[in-house]
Amino acid sequence: MPDSGVILALHNVSVRFPRRPEAVLTGVSVHLAPGEQLIVFGASGSGKSTLLQTITGVIPHSVVASLDGSVRLGRDAAAVQTSDTSVVALSRLVGVVAQDPSSSVCLPDVEQELALPLENTATDPTLISNHIDRALDAVQARTLRYRSTAQLSGGEGQRVALAATLIAEPAVLLLDEPTSMLDAAGLDAVRRAIRSAVDAYGPAVVLVEHRIDEFAGDAGIAGLPARALVLGDAGTVLADGRTPEVLTAHGRVLNQNGCWLPLETELLAVTGHSGGLHAPAVRTGIRSLGGVAGAPPKGNRHDVSPIVLAATDLVIDRGAPASRRRGRTPATPTPPVLAAVSLTLHRGEIVALLGGNGIGKTSLMLTLAGLHVPVSGTVTGARPGMIFQNPEHQFVEHTVRGEIRHGLGNLTDDALDAILHRHRLTHLADQSPFRLSGGEKRRLSVAAMLAHDRPVLLADEPTFGLDRRDTIATMGALRRAAEGGRSILFSSHDLRTVASLADRVIVLAEGTVIADGALFDVLRSHEVLTRAGLVLPPLLRHLLDEFSDEQGRRVLKQLDAAVTGTTPGVTT
Amino acid sequence: MTAELVGARADAPATGMSGSALARRNPTIKLAVLFVVSLVLMFIFDPITPLVLYLLALSAVGATARIPFRVLVLTHIPFLAFALGLLIVNALSRPGEVLWQLGLLRVTTEGLEIGTALALRTLVIGVLSIGFVLSTDSVALMTSLHQHARLGSRLTYAVLAGYRMLEDLPREWQTIRHAHAVRAPLGHGGKPPRGLREYGRAAFALLVLSIRKGERMAQSLESRGLGLTPRTTWRRIRLTRADWVMAGAVLATVGAVIGLSAFLGYLHGFSALRT
Repeated sequence: MPDSGVILALHNVSVRFPRRPEAVLTGVSVHLAPGEQLIVFGASGSGKSTLLQTITGVIPHSVVASLDGSVRLGRDAAAVQTSDTSVVALSRLVGVVAQDPSSSVCLPDVEQELALPLENTATDPTLISNHIDRALDAVQARTLRYRSTAQLSGGEGQRVALAATLIAEPAVLLLDEPTSMLDAAGLDAVRRAIRSAVDAYGPAVVLVEHRIDEFAGDAGIAGLPARALVLGDAGTVLADGRTPEVLTAHGRVLNQNGCWLPLETELLAVTGHSGGLHAPAVRTGIRSLGGVAGAPPKGNRHDVSPIVLAATDLVIDRGAPASRRRGRTPATPTPPVLAAVSLTLHRGEIVALLGGNGIGKTSLMLTLAGLHVPVSGTVTGARPGMIFQNPEHQFVEHTVRGEIRHGLGNLTDDALDAILHRHRLTHLADQSPFRLSGGEKRRLSVAAMLAHDRPVLLADEPTFGLDRRDTIATMGALRRAAEGGRSILFSSHDLRTVASLADRVIVLAEGTVIADGALFDVLRSHEVLTRAGLVLPPLLRHLLDEFSDEQGRRVLKQLDAAVTGTTPGVTT
Repeated sequence: MTAELVGARADAPATGMSGSALARRNPTIKLAVLFVVSLVLMFIFDPITPLVLYLLALSAVGATARIPFRVLVLTHIPFLAFALGLLIVNALSRPGEVLWQLGLLRVTTEGLEIGTALALRTLVIGVLSIGFVLSTDSVALMTSLHQHARLGSRLTYAVLAGYRMLEDLPREWQTIRHAHAVRAPLGHGGKPPRGLREYGRAAFALLVLSIRKGERMAQSLESRGLGLTPRTTWRRIRLTRADWVMAGAVLATVGAVIGLSAFLGYLHGFSALRT
């Protein structure tokens, strides 16, 4: 590529962190033209985030790491080397939207948040107000202008962060899993916002994203950046080219490595046929994964197993712990989030709790766990265990070993080693829980909770933010716990995870339970899905239409098995 | 109280306290006046002068800051508690003419006088601080300090980002306490323990999470170009003649009260301590 058409040039870039033997990036060379869009694929730990950090200059300026090779930003003669330029100075050229909107929106008011980048680049104050309107229009969030940032939902916060990044018109926009913390509604809004904002400002884009299908929308692979870069072990470039071709050539390896992929690519990797769900050959391939039709259903376990937890007529408010502790009643009593909630959990069954953001799933789980006092109603049963959405909230000790032993004075060393082994934590036993990777943190939080002998495990978004391999591993741990006789109640926004794991589903909407029944029966009810704002992903829709429950479940398990590599992908 | 304040800030930027006469004054000037008055009070040790100043400050804040009566009373509580502490300690511990004695407890006239003076001083500073805090928008204060007191932009916005983090802390703390309680052995009455150890652990987790979040916020402020020069300020905070008039009026009043007090023989400075 001729130099004049280049806005970002990485030449032979390698990055090493101190006290880690293997390199995180090795010999990466990438040139990006102005306005060109790139998506980066790679399994966990392949250096995707590191790549973005070398572009912003955070490596080597803010993070201790050695950087070899050169990273140049800007056009022609105006281009700068990131190693010679501070992160703040580089901000004139590159903008970042990170995962967590709560830490990328920094000021009390939306307006102020958007004005800051303009003030910093010495924009004429009389023009700032118009710029703010334009930026909010570009992310389709004009109505947020006068809001306080503390009151934004995740999706709104992420759109404000995107607007604040693009308002200074950087030539390069880095998107670091911008949708990973959002629910379905937020994701949809952010996806559309990114599209319209990129159209409006025309920056070159580097995208790292887990939720590929959701990000691409109905367009499928065509909805992704046109160019794809694949990072392999130790951050080497495995492929760099047009996205459809790269995915066709490398989909199978990426799928085995637990990388999130477009459904079409995943199906190609497993069935050997391209074209996605609409292609007859792919459909035949899926059919063969489902096995023989008419296999006997397992029967609803919860009809025969004993009840281990029962909730009757619960009325739950959101709880204002601060004011309650001071013994004052709030000026206006908050209306209950949930009312008339009755449910039972049976030994050995896995139940999914579904419902939109803010409907009260977490409040209900806290109430079942005895941590939140309901306004009225009762919960009976032995003390349940609970794992939280962010595993870090649970950590109390300074080592992984101590963390599992916590609260279990009489745990023998052998038993502890067995738990470490079962959850693949043995090699991390003496590390600090806070220093683990996302997947490792989740494994530890599950292991530490399951070490306690509780008949019920409540899990709040247990697969949130994990890569595919860790998602499957977490599902496996929950499934084994249920096979061991525990009852599991988990919440999730990911209906594919729900469909591969749950026996039964409880749906919350309109302030109460609107459905409670066998998994596929509930997912087949259009009325329930509509009322709860749930949208079936295309694969699930296909399975529900074409297959028996048992076959559908088997297809999902086979697709997961292609990742862990325990079962070879089935080809026809 | 916090709930009302947050609500007022978020929902109704142009009404209530924030639309009051005091709220329209320049934040840096208000802060400077508060500082100067507090400094002057450090040199006054008789009860009468601060009592008069307190009554004047209370009526001025009441008249110009539009603070609801209930809020004004509630916000007084910490200052009243501190003032009472000062009064008691001084009354019981200062040497001087004994006014009342019971066993080891001994109250002196000098102690009572100085204690009352210090307590009233606390209340003057208290009521002025209440007026300042409730009538001043945090963003406006930081912008004004940057503009009029030459505070660096990096520091200014770091403080604002810290304020934003502070808003999330109670919820974060609650979640950590819940998450820790799940695995804690149950104590008496089936309740999880609430000892110092448990709070310590929760505090450690909160610290780790907050530092992490602080780092991320710092990175995003840098990536928005905070610290570049030159920079502009969008909504300049106005510094008008009315601000100087207010500052002048407050300082003149304080001067007049002190002068009158000295003339009438009530005023005591540091010399009061030596007796």
